[in-house]
Amino acid sequence: VTGTPDTFEPPLRKPSARVSIVIFVLSVTLMWWLRLHIFRDQFITLSYGLPLLLCLWHRDRLLLWSMTLAFLALSAVKAFLLLERVDPVMDSAQWLMQVINTVVIAGTVHFVLVLFERLDVRNRELQRTNEELAAREEEINRQNEELQVQSEELAQQNEELQQQSEELQNQSAELHSQAEELQGTNEELKQRESILQRLLESLRITESDSAVLESLCRSALDLIGDAAQAAAIVERSGSQMNLLASTPGVIQPKEPVPFKDSFTEIIVDEDRTAFIEDLRDRPDIGVLQGVNREFRSVLCTPLRSGRQPIGAVKIYSTTPQRWTTEHFRIVEWVAAQSSLILEVRRLRNELTRTNADLEKLVHERTARLQELVDELEHFSYSITHDMRAPLRAMQGFAELLAMAGDGALGEAERKNYLDRIITAAGRMDRLITDALSYSRTVRQEMTLHAVDTCHLLKGMIESYPEFQMPRARIDVAERMPAVLANEAGLTQCFSNLLNNAVKFVEHNQQPHVQVRAEQTDGRVRIWFEDNGIGIPQELAPRMFGMFQRGSRKYEGTGIGLALVRKVTERMGGKVGVESAPGKGSRFWVELRAAHNGGNHG
Amino acid sequence: MEATMARPTVLYVEDEENDIIFMRFAFKKAGIEHGLESVMDGQHAVAYLSGESPYHNRQLYPLPSLILLDVHLPLISGFEVLDWIRTRSDLKEIPVIVFSSSGRPEDRRKAEELGANYYLLKPASGLQFVQVAKNLKDGWLNPG
Repeated sequence: VTGTPDTFEPPLRKPSARVSIVIFVLSVTLMWWLRLHIFRDQFITLSYGLPLLLCLWHRDRLLLWSMTLAFLALSAVKAFLLLERVDPVMDSAQWLMQVINTVVIAGTVHFVLVLFERLDVRNRELQRTNEELAAREEEINRQNEELQVQSEELAQQNEELQQQSEELQNQSAELHSQAEELQGTNEELKQRESILQRLLESLRITESDSAVLESLCRSALDLIGDAAQAAAIVERSGSQMNLLASTPGVIQPKEPVPFKDSFTEIIVDEDRTAFIEDLRDRPDIGVLQGVNREFRSVLCTPLRSGRQPIGAVKIYSTTPQRWTTEHFRIVEWVAAQSSLILEVRRLRNELTRTNADLEKLVHERTARLQELVDELEHFSYSITHDMRAPLRAMQGFAELLAMAGDGALGEAERKNYLDRIITAAGRMDRLITDALSYSRTVRQEMTLHAVDTCHLLKGMIESYPEFQMPRARIDVAERMPAVLANEAGLTQCFSNLLNNAVKFVEHNQQPHVQVRAEQTDGRVRIWFEDNGIGIPQELAPRMFGMFQRGSRKYEGTGIGLALVRKVTERMGGKVGVESAPGKGSRFWVELRAAHNGGNHG
Repeated sequence: MEATMARPTVLYVEDEENDIIFMRFAFKKAGIEHGLESVMDGQHAVAYLSGESPYHNRQLYPLPSLILLDVHLPLISGFEVLDWIRTRSDLKEIPVIVFSSSGRPEDRRKAEELGANYYLLKPASGLQFVQVAKNLKDGWLNPG
C-alpha cells in the first residue's frame, strides 16, 4: 500500500536533440554532397524522401520538418541555380514534383510519428494499469497470506479451546459428582449438628437426665431413618437394668429387668456393637418389647462412663434387619454423645455442688473471721478502757501528793495514797499480762491429744502453795477420764478456774474446791465446785464475758474467765456455771473424751 | 415528805473505789452542798433508786436530784441501769449524766438513745474531777 498509481506518470521518451542534430547535419551534408557535387548536372531520382525515413527510427518531428525544409532548399538551389535551364516550365514542374514528393513523404512520416506517439501513450497507460493491477494483486496475495496465517492460528486456538472445553467438561462432571457427595455428607452433618445443638441446649436448660437421653433416642431414630422404629437407653444397676430413656413405643417395665441373659449383658461384656437379625431365632436372649407390636431385630452398642461400659443404646426394628456399617456408625455416635452428655451433666452437677460447698465455706470463714475481728475490736477497746482506771488513779493520787505541801497531809493519808498508787500499778501490770496471754491464746495453734486431767490437776496443785493446805483445800477425784485437749491450754483453763475458786471467798473462810468429772456420750464434763461468794444465777453466764468482773471487792482483771471460755471453745469444748449468792459456784468445762483412754504418766 | 426534808443528794454509780474518792474530794473542793451517795454496781443502783433494802430509809438515802452513771459496771452495765431508770415514771424527772472514760461515738449515741441528759467524759487524772464537779455545780445543781 505504498505509492499511489495516480501520481506515478512515466515520462515520454524525448528523442535526443544531439542525435537529431547529427542526423540533420549528416543527411543534409550527404544530400548536398550527392546532389550538388557528384550529380551536379544530372537530374537524379534519388529521393530526398529516403533520409526522412530515418525519422521513423529517430522519432523527431522537428528534425523531420527541419530536414524537409533543408532538402527543399537544396532542391531549389540545384534546380534554379546549378542546373542549366532547359525548359523553365519543365524544370519548375520537376522541382515542384520533387517538393510535393518530399512534403508528402514528410507528411506521411509525420503522420506515422503521431500514430507512434499515440501508441506509445497507450502502451504506457496499459503498462501503468498493468503495474497497478500487479501491485493490487500482490497486495491481495499478501493479505491472503496474512488471512491464511490468521486462519491457521484461529484453527489452532479453536482446537485448543475444544480440548480445554473437553477437559472442563470432564472436571465439571467430576465436581458435580463430588458436590453431590458433599451435599449428602453435608446434609447428614447438618442433621447431626442440629441434634447436637438440641442436646447442648438441653444441657444448658435444667432438663432432667431422662429428658436429655430421650432426646438422644429420638436423634438416633432420625439418623437411621426407616430401618428403625424405636430406640432406648438402658443402664446397668447391679444385677438389674434400668430403662433410662426411650422413644414412645417401647414397653416401660414397671420394675427393673434382670441384667443376666439380656442382650445388654452380651454387649457390655464384649464391649462392642452387635445386632440380632431376627429375634425369633434367639428366644433365649432378653430384649425389651414394643407396645402393641413385636420387635424383630435389635442393634445395640455399649454406653460408657469414662471407658467403662455401664449400659447400652438400643435401636429396634419391627422387621428382621441386617444392620449396615452406616447404622453401626450412627448408633455408636449416639452412644458416644450420650456418654459425653451424661459425663458433662455429672461434672456440672458436681461443680455446682462444689461451688455451693465452697460458697458455704467462704461464708462460714467470713463469719468466723468477722466474729474474730469483732472480738478483737471489743477486746482492744475494753482493754484500753480498763487500763484508764488504774492510770487515772495513779495520776490523781500522785498529783494530790505533789500538790500537798509538807505536813499538809497526815502520815496515814499519805500512806493511803501511796498504797493506792502501788495497787493501781499492780493492776495495770496484771491487765497487760492477761491481755497478752489472751491475745496469744486467740492466735496460737491448738493441737489436740489425749490429756490425763487427774494427773494434770495434781501436778498443778503440787506446784503452787496457794492451792495447798492450809491456804486452800482442793480435792481432786481419784479417777477422771482422759480428754482430747491441748495440754498448755487446758493448764491455763484449770489454773484460772482454781485461782478464781480460791480467791472469791469470804475473808474469814478457807477456800474449799472439789474437782470431779462425769462422762456422757463421748464428752467429759469436769466440775469445779467451790464454797465462794457466788453470784446470782441469772447473771452467771455473763461471768465469761470479757472484762466482766463479778465484784470490785476482789482484785481481778475480768479476763480470766473469758480466757477459759476462749481456750475451751478452741479445743472444741464448752464452759458453764451454776451459782447463787452465798452458796458457792459450780463451774464446769466440757471437752471431748479421748477414747484411747490415754493414761500417760 | 421525807424527800423534801432530806438533804439534796447526787447519786454516783461507780465501781472504781478510787474514782469515788476523787469525786468526794472534788465535791468538797468545788464547794458543792449536795450530799454524794455512791453505789458500786448496777444492782445496788437499782436497789437504791427503788428504795429497797438496805436503802429503804430515805432520810439516810434520799432520792437524788442528779445521777452520775458510769457505764462499765460489773454484771449489770450502766446502760442497763439507765434503761431501767427511764422505764420508771417516778424517776423520769431525775437528770442522768453518763460519766464514762469511753470516747466511742457509739457509746455516746447509745446513751442519748436511752435518755441520758448528758454524756461526760472521764478525765485522765483523778484530780481533774474537781473541774468536773465545778461544771456540775454551775450547770446542773441548783444552790440550796
